[in-house]
Amino acid sequence: MISSVRTPTNSDVVQRRSKSKSYRLSYRSGLGAASRLCPTPALTARRLNTSRKAPKSHNITEKVSPEHLGLLVKTEWQLSYVTPLYRFRHTQLKSYSRQLSAFIAAEKQQGLAIEVERPQSSFRVSFSVVQGMVGADDDAESVLMQIHSRPLFARQDEPQQLVWKGWLTCVNGNPEYLRSLPKDFTCLPLLGSSGPEALTTVVKLWFQQTFDCCFGHLEISHTSLQWLVALWTNCHTECGIQHLKMNWTLPVAPPLQVTYTVDPQDAWVLWSSVRKDKLEVEDEEDNVDIDEVVRFIRGLKSHFYRHFQLDLSAGCLTQVSTALGSAKHSGRIKISNSRYMITTLMLLTECALLKMPI
Amino acid sequence: MAANFNLPGQSDSDSPSLNDQSLFSRSGNRSLRVAEKERRKNEAEDPFVLALKYFSEVEAGTPVYGNDEVERNLVVVEKAAYSRGLSPEAVSVMLEFAMSLRMGTTLCARVLKCLIPATVVPQEAVVRAVVWLGVGKIPTSTQVLFIKWVLTMFDMIDAKDQLRAIYGFIFSFVTDENLCPFICHLLYLLTRKESVYLLLSPQGRQPFVMHLLSLYKVFCPELVTLSIPSRMRSGFRNHNSPWKSALIGIQKRNGSQVAPSISLALTVKDKGSSRKRKHGHLQLPALSSVVNKEAAEPSSLRKVVPLMQLHSFTQLLENMHQIELPAQMGSLLGSSLALQYLDCVQDESAFLRLNFWLGYALHEEFLFCGDGGTSQTSEEALQFLNRLLSTQHFLQEGFSSSEVFLYKFLSVWDGSLLRPQILGLLSNIPVVPSSRIGQLLFEPLMQLFLTSSIFFKCGLMECLNNVLLKWLNWHSVYALEDDWDISLNSHTSINMTLSGFKDSVMELVHFVGRLASLGLQLEGCHSLLLSFILDFYETVCDTFLKYGLPLIVMPPPGVFYPALLATDPVSVDRLAYIMYRWGFFIPMLQSAVNLSGCTYWQAFHISRQTFREFNQYLLFMVSCLLNSKMMFQPGVGVQLNEELLLKSNVPQYWTRFSLIHHPAFMSYAVDFHQKCWPGKKDMDLNSIKNSKMWGWYLDYLFTQGYDGLKHFVQGNISWKSAPADIQQSDSLSASTVEVHAQLS
Repeated sequence: MISSVRTPTNSDVVQRRSKSKSYRLSYRSGLGAASRLCPTPALTARRLNTSRKAPKSHNITEKVSPEHLGLLVKTEWQLSYVTPLYRFRHTQLKSYSRQLSAFIAAEKQQGLAIEVERPQSSFRVSFSVVQGMVGADDDAESVLMQIHSRPLFARQDEPQQLVWKGWLTCVNGNPEYLRSLPKDFTCLPLLGSSGPEALTTVVKLWFQQTFDCCFGHLEISHTSLQWLVALWTNCHTECGIQHLKMNWTLPVAPPLQVTYTVDPQDAWVLWSSVRKDKLEVEDEEDNVDIDEVVRFIRGLKSHFYRHFQLDLSAGCLTQVSTALGSAKHSGRIKISNSRYMITTLMLLTECALLKMPI
Repeated sequence: MAANFNLPGQSDSDSPSLNDQSLFSRSGNRSLRVAEKERRKNEAEDPFVLALKYFSEVEAGTPVYGNDEVERNLVVVEKAAYSRGLSPEAVSVMLEFAMSLRMGTTLCARVLKCLIPATVVPQEAVVRAVVWLGVGKIPTSTQVLFIKWVLTMFDMIDAKDQLRAIYGFIFSFVTDENLCPFICHLLYLLTRKESVYLLLSPQGRQPFVMHLLSLYKVFCPELVTLSIPSRMRSGFRNHNSPWKSALIGIQKRNGSQVAPSISLALTVKDKGSSRKRKHGHLQLPALSSVVNKEAAEPSSLRKVVPLMQLHSFTQLLENMHQIELPAQMGSLLGSSLALQYLDCVQDESAFLRLNFWLGYALHEEFLFCGDGGTSQTSEEALQFLNRLLSTQHFLQEGFSSSEVFLYKFLSVWDGSLLRPQILGLLSNIPVVPSSRIGQLLFEPLMQLFLTSSIFFKCGLMECLNNVLLKWLNWHSVYALEDDWDISLNSHTSINMTLSGFKDSVMELVHFVGRLASLGLQLEGCHSLLLSFILDFYETVCDTFLKYGLPLIVMPPPGVFYPALLATDPVSVDRLAYIMYRWGFFIPMLQSAVNLSGCTYWQAFHISRQTFREFNQYLLFMVSCLLNSKMMFQPGVGVQLNEELLLKSNVPQYWTRFSLIHHPAFMSYAVDFHQKCWPGKKDMDLNSIKNSKMWGWYLDYLFTQGYDGLKHFVQGNISWKSAPADIQQSDSLSASTVEVHAQLS
């Protein structure tokens, strides 16, 4: 199970008897609390879920507005993890938009002399809630941010263009973790951003100063990528994946890049052969197990070995792409089909929560 | 040819050696001259200096092919350049050599490629080189290489005024089709408002030209009539130059005294700057007040005072109830005033925010950094950890996020990186439940301990001693607040019962016992290590008297015997002190357990095995030191075959560790002997043994400052009159009395 590292409870505050005690205890909550909550606490044993639901085609268009979906899909996002936001209010988004616009303008003026000459080319920021992009009740609603700007040398009447967009989300976050946070904190652990790096930096800076949170780079690990290979292949019958393309890096000098493309039908056959024994045992719960993923990947590797005499086990999976989307080890992800978006975001939320410092 | 282009400001020779020589030959000071000669001799032997001399003096037109000397010298320079960078003078010499084409065009590119400055690039050298560019004999590719070099090193050029002065000259290269993109970039970096008036615009609509023009248009819109496209891609390509990685490497090694920014303007997305940004997470955020006031709950309408407006402790006290926490809690770490406030604040969220930030910084810096670049940042990391330590020291408590971080970090730590700081952090960890202490703490520490130096072993012992002290302090604080018989803090989020606490402490003490035995064996009973170990056991034997925790754990034989048989008297003395404390405390505890039927005491049921162990130690120690006997009790502790001892041919081996013959005390015995019988030629130490002398000898030892020994001897003797009612079968008193019987 994932992180069950606990944060201090707020429910105990009122019960405290002495002042010195509550002060002390608020420090030392890293372990004591964790051991109470969970028999196998997570400090050193945090890992990804070993079993997850097979992706179902969510009819997400019913829940999320097509306008929002249009912004979310078919863009490559750079992922980051975010520690919980302090005093973030979904009701204050308008005010946040104003503040961030002003903040960006101020930052720009400090940096580039060019901007000083053209104060009119300001940035317009809009925050909006993406209704429906959640997995469970504990999840906070996702937030979409867009930054529009008029280009540097544009005429006055030219419309502002979308220069940066990003979203903060939490899909099926570990309920234990989410509930352990005091109510002042909003946990939206996953940030996807797309646009100039400089703007991303400024936006992150504003968040840090406003909500006292921290941003860190989120890679998509070898294991997570393998999960994606399996989960996406599993969708093939419902929605053709067209191709299953994997990039492997082998640690030889010079590093060897292997691009391995599998016919979707073949991948599906292999996947169902791995799944078969499982399906007979329990039919009602359509869970995918890490064993199946491992066996599937092993099958793919041995196939490759038979043809090219090259064992991919020594290497590392760095990139996966199908018609449903693509994911890179560096933390870039593109979702091309909104129907399976929730499953992918669930996995990524998990990865982000694993990075939480406490 | 080289001399034709002397520019003002450029010294007329790049080889300082010639000037120095003439200067010092005039010097009358002989010793100075000798020293200087010595230095120069050393320098003269330095192949690098010789190589530089060669390149500054080599005649134009010297053939390259088949010239081993130039090859050898160039290799020397290259090696120096890639390992530690070139000094400003060396850069001048080599640049001048390359651009003047004194030895043809082939060497020029090669020299340019190895021109990696250690600190700065002298502006004059660059100006000279640009002037050489105008001579027009340099092949285009080399010209491009040169401009790229200037672009890469732009931030390291010590001044830009002369370069700006020849702006027009540089501008003239724009007409060169091949050079244009790079010249535009260089001009972009050099352009000032006043430069724009001088020129006509370059022609063409390539992105680099447009970019330069866009800058001109910003400065002087009236001069640039051209319409600039509204969407422009990043104008200047980031030339992935060959110098960058070498430069970063050298700056790392030199501790980067130079401003770290070597990124080219505009094209910011290179490794260097991302690296720089990555380091930002150890910076404390600035103390600033909350911007987002309207987000706060409207009920708090009372006036609040931001923490940053307070400048003294008095102000802090006056405004205690209306202080507003800063926007970023991490900033508190930088202000002592804020820490004082934090000390009494009860805001759970505030601590959580601080912990999130701190945990993030520690994780990113030490765990998530994939490139292993920690060594480079050690200075920054050092300061950060020191600040964290002083904060924890101030608050007398560790942060939970640093605790979580430590558990993860210990398994990847090499035991040497920032050792004092990491051990310091480790000393502050709160009580770990005994079920997890092995996995979280002992396994990684054992591994580190076994594979590390004596210094680490001592450091770890000290650290574990501090851990024990912290835990005991913690216990005594809560023991005072709570009733004895209820579980500790049952009303709080920490479910640590008293027996749970005791288990953890026991685990810790046993673990240290294992470590200590192994460590003494590995290090040949190193007396420094022994001293740290005895520190720990001094803490252990005082747990009851000082902290009210009735805990009896004897040192293992692996610690007891090395200490008893140590060659330094201090170790033996300290062991005697520890045994004295135990002898003092065990009967007290025992009667306490017997008298009160309280549940609290039952948690500390002390097994007979412990008593037996203590008795054996005591018996052995008394018989060894005081009675000149070696009593090995069968079945326990150390066993030595009688025959083996006889085989050693040591006469009267059983007396060898009495206070007279003990290697640690023999010198005192000799001294005492000499004082008693000043004239006596043949020394018979055994003569001290008679009862009157023996008493004096002991007194003499006590006057030498061996208080532990004094307490030990006196304590044991006084026990003879101990009340008889604590004589239980096979508990301690029976055998101690036996010991005393033998004594008298």
